Amino acid sequence: MSAPLISVQRVTMRFGGLTAVKDVSVDVMRGSITAVIGPNGAGKTTLFNAITGVYEPTEGAVQVSGRDPRRALTGGVVAGALGTGLATGLGLAVLVRVETIWEKSILELYKFQQAFPWGTSLKAFVETLFGGGFIGTWLPILLGLALGTVGRLVIWSRTRRTPDVVASAGVARTFQNIRLFPELSLVENVVVGMDRRLSSGMLGGLLRLPGAVGERSAARGDAMRLLEFVGLADKAETAAGNLPYGHQRRLEIARALASKPDVILLDEPAAGMNPTETVDLMRLIKSIRDAGTTVVLIEHHMRVVMGISDRIAVLQYGEKIAEGTPDQIKNDPRCIEAYLGKEDLG
Amino acid sequence: MTDTEVFLQQVIYGLSNGMIIALVALGYTMVYGIVELINFAHGDVFTLGGFLALTIVGGLGAAAVLDMNTLGETSNWMLLFGLVVGAGLFCGGLNVAIDKVVYKPLRRAPKLTQLVAAIGVSFILVNIALFWGGVPMDALGGGNAAAAPKDFPEILEGTNLLGEESNVVLRLEDVAIFAITVPLMIGLTLFVKKTRLGRGMRATAQNPIAAKLMGIDTDRVISATFLIGGFLGGAASVMWSVYNNTISFQMGFRAGMDAFTAAVLGGIGSMPGAMLGGILIGLIRAMSDQYIETQWTNVVVFGVLILILVFRPSGLLGLKQREKV
Amino acid sequence: MSAGSSRVALFSRGQVFLLGGLALVPLLDFVLPSVQLSAQMRTVIVFAILGLGLNIVVGWTGLLNLGIGAFMAIGAYAFGIATCEIYPFQIGFWPGILLAGAVGALAGFLLGAPTLRLRGDYLAIVTLGFGEIVQDALKNLEPITKGTQGINPLPTPWLPLPELFGTVSNETPVRWFYLYLAILAVVVYLARNLEFSRLGRQLFAVREDELAARCMAIEPDKAKLKAFAMGAALAAMAGAMFASLLSSTGEPANYDFQVSILALCIVIVGGIGSITGVLVGAIVMVGLSNVVLPNLTQALQRNGIGSTGSVFSSPDNYKYLIFGLALVLMMRYRPDGIIHSRKAVRK
Repeated sequence: MSAPLISVQRVTMRFGGLTAVKDVSVDVMRGSITAVIGPNGAGKTTLFNAITGVYEPTEGAVQVSGRDPRRALTGGVVAGALGTGLATGLGLAVLVRVETIWEKSILELYKFQQAFPWGTSLKAFVETLFGGGFIGTWLPILLGLALGTVGRLVIWSRTRRTPDVVASAGVARTFQNIRLFPELSLVENVVVGMDRRLSSGMLGGLLRLPGAVGERSAARGDAMRLLEFVGLADKAETAAGNLPYGHQRRLEIARALASKPDVILLDEPAAGMNPTETVDLMRLIKSIRDAGTTVVLIEHHMRVVMGISDRIAVLQYGEKIAEGTPDQIKNDPRCIEAYLGKEDLG
Repeated sequence: MTDTEVFLQQVIYGLSNGMIIALVALGYTMVYGIVELINFAHGDVFTLGGFLALTIVGGLGAAAVLDMNTLGETSNWMLLFGLVVGAGLFCGGLNVAIDKVVYKPLRRAPKLTQLVAAIGVSFILVNIALFWGGVPMDALGGGNAAAAPKDFPEILEGTNLLGEESNVVLRLEDVAIFAITVPLMIGLTLFVKKTRLGRGMRATAQNPIAAKLMGIDTDRVISATFLIGGFLGGAASVMWSVYNNTISFQMGFRAGMDAFTAAVLGGIGSMPGAMLGGILIGLIRAMSDQYIETQWTNVVVFGVLILILVFRPSGLLGLKQREKV
Repeated sequence: MSAGSSRVALFSRGQVFLLGGLALVPLLDFVLPSVQLSAQMRTVIVFAILGLGLNIVVGWTGLLNLGIGAFMAIGAYAFGIATCEIYPFQIGFWPGILLAGAVGALAGFLLGAPTLRLRGDYLAIVTLGFGEIVQDALKNLEPITKGTQGINPLPTPWLPLPELFGTVSNETPVRWFYLYLAILAVVVYLARNLEFSRLGRQLFAVREDELAARCMAIEPDKAKLKAFAMGAALAAMAGAMFASLLSSTGEPANYDFQVSILALCIVIVGGIGSITGVLVGAIVMVGLSNVVLPNLTQALQRNGIGSTGSVFSSPDNYKYLIFGLALVLMMRYRPDGIIHSRKAVRK
């Protein structure tokens, strides 16, 4: 059996006194469509947030493609922190006595309209900088070194598993309350979505270098193709905020697909859709899977869930109460009672 | 003076100034808490309060009365309280008017638009203060020139309450500041906790839509907030003018900066935060003036602000804003 | 607008119109010789560049910076220290401008770094405070900055081949004007490139929704730092150009809160987010306060009005009132500014 693409391992999310997700484990297989269902407040979106890095699991771990997507503590990080510390320390030492340093290395040596003794000046600078005794020189250096290094490391440790790290590992998502870029056009929204595949830098952009210009054209071309895929190509240049609700959801999906992710997490993609739109959506999700992207979705529309999922996980009050194929879930008495009422499904 | 005495003196200065800053900061933070707007014009409302106070004093012919022999008499205290109330009501009313005319139509506008509008109001008020200063008030000394600062008379006696011998000076003015600011703060806290209007303010601050649905008249609540905030500014302005013996058309800028910083330091929107922030800023300024150098005090204050914000991005007592995803 | 198509024009129609229009301004010198329009328009250009810098930070990235004046001051003083003959460096006009830009970028980075986690309103207060303390620091460090005297004299722009192009000085304001106009055109070009580049898109995304941007593998912290650095660099270069104009850095108070607010108004009144808007804003705001108002005062005084002692009779005393009213009315009735940009801020 192949390894799961996403492996949620005993994840618990606690917010102060509230436990939103409790000891949940789910495996998402490559190439499958997995649904996470449950009543409102069951912790589904919180689980998504824990997977995508918006939250850090209070307990447990999430693995993507067999690895925990997290910035590694490399030598580079430590060197960077030390460098920051050193720069802060020296900077502080200069600032604290800047007037004296200036006097000794510039003012005293400069005679108007005569050649300036740069070598002597440099020597005077170094001497004055390090000649301030403990309070003037060494305390600021040590303080800055400590603050800079520790500060940099603290910041690093707090941002090890931010959403951009998880996204770089090939995970894309949509949001329960659509989060588009309203002032940007549809094309621009999608092109932003593919940012992780782009490589042009600041200089190329500012100077309009051919590499950057070419990449932009290619990106726009890809974006248009994605918009065609979701059926929005005719509105490519309108502002995303002006789209009707259903179209906004489709745009969000196109934007999430833009980065060619390994897996896409859809949070209630069918919300607010009428039956025709729902059928279109089911077709769309299936073609996403068929094109090679694994799908995980949170959904309340039972028709969609039962119609396209390979596996379903059921959450209630933050715990997983069942997992299996649609048929298994349909007939599971716990699920029927907890979530679906006593009616028949499907 | 011994080191302890120097320190104690700075504590007195710091607390006195700090309480004034705290009052102004309360005005900012209350308004921010309820409409999420940095009322740039608050500092200039503060300025006009001072000008009003001076005008009243001049108008009463008080200059003739306020000579050394009568300072400290009961009538002076009554004058002081009268000025506080008068300037307070004036500033409160002005604040409400500004809200009704400028801010209310922009309630739904983007934050930046509201901010720029507030800056615009600030400039208008500065110009009004400039004109006000140009109207002859030379009964009380100070330049005729519109832009020049004017003297504000001593209203309370200046003798040292700790006795002639003491190196540490505690004057009636210091006591007056406490006598006025502390009750105001306590009264405000009780008001917000216990009264219906106060609860309405807290509800509107947390969730204006829900508050409206619950039947709270959010417009009235907002106006009340502006009124109270302005009143506090006016009171602070009188205390400031008396304490520093001067007013100028730009006094609101410095006071505003300090108050902003205090409000942010304490956590903007939090009333205890504003009070704490104000006192802290006052003390930091006094200590910096004494132990470092006055010219670097602003830098020190800013440094403290940055340091605290780096570790607590929402301020000391501010609530962590959790983003709903 | 060509923004939709794959190939982006070098300048937009509006920008061509404005830059071209500005190029024709010296012709007005023949019509209004006493006003010396082209000389005064040099200041407009300086503030346009300042506005373009602020636009990147406020308009494109959504970061509320109320203290851009501080970076202008840093640039002016960096230029001054590096080029004035009272100090040994004397690196010349163009290296001075570039150095000012580099120092500005560093300062922008340093201010931006501790503020990355701050909410919008907190950031506003911090940038406001920064504006104040830079002023204080510059005033206090007298041995270096000459305090309120300022550093002078400062070099004028240098042109190669003086036999061919001549020199630039206050005797040749038209030549100076065209040189600054050329610099402005280059800055507009670069800004426009940024607008349509990958980094530009990242800035807009961060402004619109920082969390969503993060979920697309964009690092908002890096983007914000770059925005701060670029905005500060442009502001610093504007400061250096300004100092050269005055042949002095002037005193630190020249770059105070009023300058920051003027820059903010240029961006907002002109049309937030739009490069063309910034150009319009600079012309309108600086034109009003530096050209129209003083000349009006002079004209009135020559006709006998405004010479009495009353505070109400001098038009200069209405400066704040007019400014304030203009702001309030604009925000009330045309908050998007004169030029509507597709990339306007909606927050």
